[in-house]
Amino acid sequence: MRNPAEPESFRLVIPSQTRYLNLVTGMAKRASIVAGMDDATSAKVSIAVDEAVTNVIVHAYNSEADHQVDIELRFMPQSLEVHICHNGRAIRENEVVLPDPREYVKHPRKGGLGLLLMSRFMDEIRYIETGEGSECCMIKRVV
Amino acid sequence: MADLLIQVHEVDGVAVLRPEGFINAHTVRQFELALEALVHEGKYAILLDCRLLNYISSAGLGAIMGLIETVRENGGDILLCNLQKNVFEIFDTLGFTQLYRVFATEGEALKCLNGTI
Repeated sequence: MRNPAEPESFRLVIPSQTRYLNLVTGMAKRASIVAGMDDATSAKVSIAVDEAVTNVIVHAYNSEADHQVDIELRFMPQSLEVHICHNGRAIRENEVVLPDPREYVKHPRKGGLGLLLMSRFMDEIRYIETGEGSECCMIKRVV
Repeated sequence: MADLLIQVHEVDGVAVLRPEGFINAHTVRQFELALEALVHEGKYAILLDCRLLNYISSAGLGAIMGLIETVRENGGDILLCNLQKNVFEIFDTLGFTQLYRVFATEGEALKCLNGTI
């Protein structure tokens, strides 16, 4: 039985393969709507989750297909929390450099846009290292 | 249904590429190959008709970015039309609406391409 003191949540554990992305983003979008967000906001959450899970598969696991990505969605009183956990190479907060869109427009290049989309579409992003692995925690508040 | 289907047809010398579904890290290679095929065929006037595109992630934007220079160096351009609200927001958030011309309809985009190229 669920401890009433803990938030309602559910988890999805996927193999580290991009073919499961659509499944995860679909789930994130539906969860956002259940949390009380409108269609436009839920679409943003789903894109942010796509980018975060892609980062784990491609960068943390170096596109190796035989690992796992653990995605947990927590329904908090005024927000939706998305916790993406893995055992691959950790992304550290101080390594995250967001490209400046104004500079990007002047000097276009491939890559580096996913983190920017995540930061623009979510209210808060934290990178946490636990004893069991690494976690990207993204929060979207319900307004 | 597949995550991504791509139709390509030609209107008055303009290659119209119509992606249907999702462009993300899983489907981006398919999208990239479709764009590269046009460039290899010397088709540099390209219109991305996004009416059936549900979303595009940064991987897809990178694919467009990877070819735009070659296309423009050859006197062409990649234009966009019929963007759904959430797709427009992704382009706009990253400043891509300053890099690419975006039109409400295919007709307006074709007029522009035929007038300038």
